Amino acid sequence: MIKATGLVKEYGGHRVLDGIDLSVAEGEIVVLLGPSGSGKSTLLRCLNGLEQLTDGSVEVAGTRVEAGMKRGERDARFRAIRRRTGMVFQQFNLYPHKTALGNVTEALRIVAKMPKTQADAEGERLLARVGLADKRDAYPSRLSGGQQQRVAIARALAPGPAVMLFDEPTSALDPELVGEVLDVMRELAREGMTMIVVTHEIKFARQVASRIVFLDGGSIVEEADPETFFTSPASERARRFIRQLAER
Amino acid sequence: MNLVFENSEFLLKGAYYTLLITLLSMFFGFLIGLVVALARLRGSWPFRALARAYVSIIRGTPALVQIVIVYFGLVDYGITLGPITAAVIALSINVGAFLSETFRGAIQSVPNGQLEAAYATGMTTGQAMRRIVLPQAARIAIPPMGNTFVGMLKETSLVSVISVTELLRSAQLLIAQYYVNMPFYIGIAAMYWVMSTAFSALLHMVERRLAKAY
Repeated sequence: MIKATGLVKEYGGHRVLDGIDLSVAEGEIVVLLGPSGSGKSTLLRCLNGLEQLTDGSVEVAGTRVEAGMKRGERDARFRAIRRRTGMVFQQFNLYPHKTALGNVTEALRIVAKMPKTQADAEGERLLARVGLADKRDAYPSRLSGGQQQRVAIARALAPGPAVMLFDEPTSALDPELVGEVLDVMRELAREGMTMIVVTHEIKFARQVASRIVFLDGGSIVEEADPETFFTSPASERARRFIRQLAER
Repeated sequence: MNLVFENSEFLLKGAYYTLLITLLSMFFGFLIGLVVALARLRGSWPFRALARAYVSIIRGTPALVQIVIVYFGLVDYGITLGPITAAVIALSINVGAFLSETFRGAIQSVPNGQLEAAYATGMTTGQAMRRIVLPQAARIAIPPMGNTFVGMLKETSLVSVISVTELLRSAQLLIAQYYVNMPFYIGIAAMYWVMSTAFSALLHMVERRLAKAY
């Protein structure tokens, strides 16, 4: 479903991703872990083209993009990928000038060109799925952080994506609001959605992930199933990382 | 003062031209401002350079000079414009430069995450701009844009030099006829004041409407 090959990302000479090879099968839930600055978020953002690749290639849901492709071709392909992927951001990034329903239906209307009544019905179904049917007419400023992030998940689900990308979805939330967002994500996992999740929620990673991918310094240091990773990590760097998390 | 009321019809006609030139220049200036702002933010380098030069030249030269260049200067190249046409062209170009700076600032103040969120759902740059970024930028741009428009209304008095019979020039014509100055000048000052105040009030309403939306 997802395949990154030799992925390199540089910002002004600084190498953030240093040759990443990663493949994710359909229905898999991969949790990306690693210290801050290890390149987890950048990797996620390279998969749907929010960051341009310096070198290497990505393939998502059957569409392949290589570094060095002509701009028009590359943009068109990333747009194709984005129509098959949903992304959830740390800061929610809900459209403040649109209601909860408007946020969810926007892409259906504008990208998929769905008629309004049909888009609204679909939007209501999605809001119900994240438990916010009663908030359809609320603007984001009237919603709690947890509710905003659930609307953002509904928005990302709207086009019927094959893959969901989560970029630290609970890091900006007050602790008591984290649970409601993780519950929605657990539900998605149970339904068999392919997911890549950047998170610091260890308990979630342990329960839900099919695989942990541990990054440090722009490279994948270790890949393992959660049980193995958390109980007997192979690398010293992973051991140190887990110890630091435990001390928090 | 009676003279002012006796000639009110003539003065109102001047006010009509003032208003007409203001509205037309606002409309075209708005379009120019938007295009130039987008060119500076999203264009490739020749467009960016061109847009920057335009803004720099217009902001760095007096509006009066711009007006006479369009009306008198272009004649040398065989381009003869009617006074009102020349006035609208010069003022549109002038106000467009100032508005483009307002728009640029407003667009830049919309967080980048908004554009990313729109992109992530598969929107093109055009769709993301139109549907997500510009509506948010509009809210930020409206108060300074209102100030520019009120300034513009007053600046139209400059086009009296190219024989457009707007408010100032109609007063001057009446003064030449009756040999009294003050009543006419006070009269048109009052008319300018009424128009700009009405304008401000209108913009205030739009602002409040937009603020309520979210």
